[in-house]
Amino acid sequence: MNTQKLTAASLDQLAADCAAKVPKNLIRVGMSTCGIAAGAEAVLATLRRNVAARGLKIAVEQCGCAGMCYAEPLVEVAVEGMPTVTYGRVTPQIAGEIIEQHVERKLFVQDYIYTVKVDDEK
Amino acid sequence: MRNKKTIFLGDSDQQGREKAVYEALAAAVKAESLDAAVQLVRVAETGKAGQGVVVRILPENIDYVQVKPADAGRIIGESVKKNKKLEDLTPPAKVRQIKIVLRNCGRIDPERIEDYIAGEGYQALKRVLSERTREEWINEMKLSGLRGRGGGGFPTWMKWNFAYRMDSAEKYVICNGDEGDPGAYMDRSVLEGDPHAVVEGMMIAGYLVGAQKGIFYIRAEYPLAIKRIQIAIDQARSYGLLGERILGGDFSFDLQIRLGAGAFVCGEETALIASIEGKRGCPKPRPPYPTVSGLWGKPTVINNVETLANVAQIILRGGAWFAGIGSPSAKGTKVFALTGKVKRSGLIEVPMGITLRQIVFEIGGGVLKDKRIKAVQTGGPSGGVIPEHLLDTPVDYENLQKLGSIMGSGGMIVMDEDDCMVDISKFYLGFCVDESCGKCAPCRIGGVQMLGYLRRISEGKASMEDVDKMERICAAVQRASLCGLGQTAPNPVLSTLKYFRREYVEHIKERRCGAKKCASLLRFTIIQEACKRCGMCLRACPVAAITRSAANVYTIDPAVCVKCGKCYETCKFAAIKQE
Amino acid sequence: MVRIKINNVELSVQPGTSILDAAKKLNIKIPALCKHPDLQATAACGICVVKVKGANKMLRSCCTPVEEGMDIVTHDQQLQDIRRTVLELILSNHPNDCLQCGRNNNCELQRLTADFGIRQVPYPQFLRQIPEDPSTKTITLVPEKCILCGRCVHVCQKIQNVWALSFLERGVQTRISAAGDIKLSDSPCIKCGQCSAHCPTGAIVEFDQTDDVWRVLHDEQKYCVVQIAPAVRVAIGEAFGFPDGALLTGKLYAALRRLGFKAVFDTNFGADLTIMEEASEFVERFAHNKGALPLITTCCPSWVDFMERFYPDMVEYFSSAKSPHEMVGVLSKTYYAQKKNIDPATIAMVSVMPCTAKKYEITRSYEMFASGHQDIDIVLTTREISRMIKQAGIDFVNLPPEGPDYILGDYTGAGVIFGATGGVMEAALRTAYFLITQKNYEKIEFENVRGLQGVKETSVAIAGKTVKLAVAHGIGNVEYVLQKVQKALKDGTELPYHFIEVMACPGGCVGGGGQPYGVTDALRIARSKGLYQDDREQKVRYSHANPHVRQLYAEFLEKPLSEKAHHYLHTRYFARPMYRK
Repeated sequence: MNTQKLTAASLDQLAADCAAKVPKNLIRVGMSTCGIAAGAEAVLATLRRNVAARGLKIAVEQCGCAGMCYAEPLVEVAVEGMPTVTYGRVTPQIAGEIIEQHVERKLFVQDYIYTVKVDDEK
Repeated sequence: MRNKKTIFLGDSDQQGREKAVYEALAAAVKAESLDAAVQLVRVAETGKAGQGVVVRILPENIDYVQVKPADAGRIIGESVKKNKKLEDLTPPAKVRQIKIVLRNCGRIDPERIEDYIAGEGYQALKRVLSERTREEWINEMKLSGLRGRGGGGFPTWMKWNFAYRMDSAEKYVICNGDEGDPGAYMDRSVLEGDPHAVVEGMMIAGYLVGAQKGIFYIRAEYPLAIKRIQIAIDQARSYGLLGERILGGDFSFDLQIRLGAGAFVCGEETALIASIEGKRGCPKPRPPYPTVSGLWGKPTVINNVETLANVAQIILRGGAWFAGIGSPSAKGTKVFALTGKVKRSGLIEVPMGITLRQIVFEIGGGVLKDKRIKAVQTGGPSGGVIPEHLLDTPVDYENLQKLGSIMGSGGMIVMDEDDCMVDISKFYLGFCVDESCGKCAPCRIGGVQMLGYLRRISEGKASMEDVDKMERICAAVQRASLCGLGQTAPNPVLSTLKYFRREYVEHIKERRCGAKKCASLLRFTIIQEACKRCGMCLRACPVAAITRSAANVYTIDPAVCVKCGKCYETCKFAAIKQE
Repeated sequence: MVRIKINNVELSVQPGTSILDAAKKLNIKIPALCKHPDLQATAACGICVVKVKGANKMLRSCCTPVEEGMDIVTHDQQLQDIRRTVLELILSNHPNDCLQCGRNNNCELQRLTADFGIRQVPYPQFLRQIPEDPSTKTITLVPEKCILCGRCVHVCQKIQNVWALSFLERGVQTRISAAGDIKLSDSPCIKCGQCSAHCPTGAIVEFDQTDDVWRVLHDEQKYCVVQIAPAVRVAIGEAFGFPDGALLTGKLYAALRRLGFKAVFDTNFGADLTIMEEASEFVERFAHNKGALPLITTCCPSWVDFMERFYPDMVEYFSSAKSPHEMVGVLSKTYYAQKKNIDPATIAMVSVMPCTAKKYEITRSYEMFASGHQDIDIVLTTREISRMIKQAGIDFVNLPPEGPDYILGDYTGAGVIFGATGGVMEAALRTAYFLITQKNYEKIEFENVRGLQGVKETSVAIAGKTVKLAVAHGIGNVEYVLQKVQKALKDGTELPYHFIEVMACPGGCVGGGGQPYGVTDALRIARSKGLYQDDREQKVRYSHANPHVRQLYAEFLEKPLSEKAHHYLHTRYFARPMYRK
């Protein structure tokens, strides 16, 4: 755990440093109560296992509830050079396909995308 | 690969029509030899409803709706190849969500403070501590027009101002995370998904009113929220953002979590305070108000989770920015938990002033299984139903009140033709009776009496006089109850009576439940003409209510039947009628 | 002053006045049920609601303070309907057995229902099945009749600071019980009966022992004798339509004889006796340094029970003298029995007290059997004796007064003031002064210890020494006094007091848990006035000048604090657990 006490100036510096460190290749799994109730823990575990097994350079993180609770478990996939999409109603099996198709082979998995991120949205 | 275009397509009504369009597009792509440059992806959800097949082309970000297979050629040939927008397929502008409270939910790891800091985290706190005066910031909150999001709708700046003006060395700010309305989970998601936003809001509130301690009161039924808020507090402390001399200035502040213990009434301010003080969670008469004498008798500000999650953004972008969103009497956005018979249930954050119809059909995707919408219930057990013909009402505090409901904390439940209004009011009243603290007679006894009448109505054992008696009790409970729980407990009853009296009359006079929900009023009969005499229903019946006569005629004895519906489910020949 | 309007009439009131109290100034009685003048409003019943212009809700007048410019409506059709409906709801959850209830004809709920003219409750009745709790054998809890006004909890927790009663569960399951849902007798309950005194309905009543008394009165083998406490004579009149505080000693003696008691004694005799013993004790400790100071009075059994449970390490400061009625009790079965040649085994001694705790006191330790039998057989409260008098067909109002059996019934002015807070202290001072200086104190009425202030701290000079005094009433006021003493003892500094009187009931015994219902400060003052009037009318006003007390010592006890006096008239104290398993 960090022990640096922030000042106004070091807060800004930390913000800049952290913003710069956001990985360009990133998978986010919704891990709030709605997601967990729908089975997100197993999905997260599968994604992490597959990424490690294949030695892929993509971060796998948890995030909160984005609001599309009816479609949980939700998995957002950002791969450099491809539009960022969110897969919904993901099972461990689909999770495997996401790694194999989308991350490794840069091919979207058909019929499971719920949102497509456009640039003007933050 | 870098110049690759992606075409996403899906059926906005989930009818599978995108497959044909997909084939047509694939053929068109092949015809134009664009295989290497264009990727076609079928999606499960388009975020739109009633717009046929929807197409999105990236990276140009062009959306087309009502796309038919015949349009494929034009889309590839003109739009993709020559960048010409096809006006006839362009969708009309629709209402969109604006994420202020939920801006970070789903985008950051809530257990990593660095993620929050990277996204302007604690910048608002920094500004408040170093620039301008307290009065100026409170005025900024006034300009924003932010009103309490827990349901009270009280102007946030005014509450802070009252506490600020109190002369006391000891003051408190409390975050009300007791969220008790059934079906409402906006606060839970914010606490779980972006805990630091609430922490920062608390700190700003604490600094402005002059408090040194803040308390998160979180219901014990939210263990993940409790865990994440504790992690956030610990991480903030480790960075010196909580504790002594924050960010190098004079402000010292710390936070702790106190748990609720299963009482809806402890969402009420004075009961919440009693609970933190270790007493029975019963409300106290007001005045004195908490801002004058609250926790431990000191000036206390209690704010809802969602209210606090708005604060940092208002500080950073200005009150005028916030006031520019929403409607004249209700500024900003509101997070609603859209649930019930709706296709896309979940949390939405929309500007105040959009209509219920827009919420349900444009954002919510319409009614589940495309059934007929009957009403939308807002405000939880304190609210009422808005019938179909009033769904074009813009959502704000006053409009909903005028219609006999309330905004409440944001629960919004879609009801269709299969929902019985008597059953609905019975459910909500049952909830209020369970949760009544019992201190004051009108709520404690009136609630039980009203529930008794509703039960008898739903069992076909009531008279029209009973409705009059119930309405009399409603008036007394509304006016003479000590706190908001009792004062609003009759709302679902009064609201359903106002708009759906016909259903009550049906239950009483005809002993019939039109929605087929009230079990006692269901009648199961065997349609003799359709009956194949297979005897499966007889075997399925758990109480032996079905008998076979000597002439091989099957009948259901209504006196024995417990309306479980097993026979109805079992019959393969649709020979059993449920009415 | 704050200017407001009530029903279109303007008036000015002190800031902080509740709307309910402000309306009284215009002779408007806003109906209310759960509010008691002694207590802060609990805001529970919802009947006192009024309309205030500009407020979007109806407000409870009992707890809402007036504000400048308030425009209030107290009565209109809507308010009337709402109040009526709330009362009907309360009645729908209340048993309908007024005729058989301990508060029949004397119940606040009954009165309100009659005032509202309710003839039928339109809603189905549903009762709570909660068993009664008579375990203390002094007060009985009847939860089915409880309207959850919260007064008893407030009194027990805030006024008495005992915290025996509390609310359990919630919603319509809410009930009042000893905390932890144990029996009241296993709780810290000190049986002061203040809960019953404040209860508006029959939910807390005294443990009725009138049947036991009828039985002994009609038992030919029994020789029944009776004594009455000071506070009873000024309160009994309330059951018979007399003005508040009317002094009815003579009528009471007459009525008791008609009931069948063979001898009518007076606890005031015991009070004079207590003063002889206790003042002598004080002189020993104060003037001769024999024994620990401060000396603390013990005539109040609730107070004794409280100390034994909450501050057991301080019981050494208690006076070892028994309470007055116990003294009369033991003497009735020894001194009196011997003199009249009656077999003490046949004597049934009945004490009529303003107190519920006395029902417990009579078996609290084996010293209560010093006569060789249970010194006092039954204790009746003022309420019970008034019922017996009525049952026996005695026309109390017109009874010619009689005198007591002087042998144990003669009393002085000092004895009778025991019933008011400060009375024991004043009586003790009158005699202590004499014992130390051999002269009577010039100022016979000691104003500084009288009155309803919770803790009265004062001092008196006796033979050049300053005697520091404290008088407390209402157990909630005791903590202040005891903590001051504890601190001085721990730090070794000068004692804040030498002599302390404590009465558990606010006002002293006149406000006792067994007195007629409806106690308020006005009533406490009126009843005390009756006692002080009796003091003034007595020819003898010093305990040490009571001729029959002198005779008792000469013939039987020798002198105060003698061995015989110790055997019969003194007792011990113990540490007792706050909660019993």
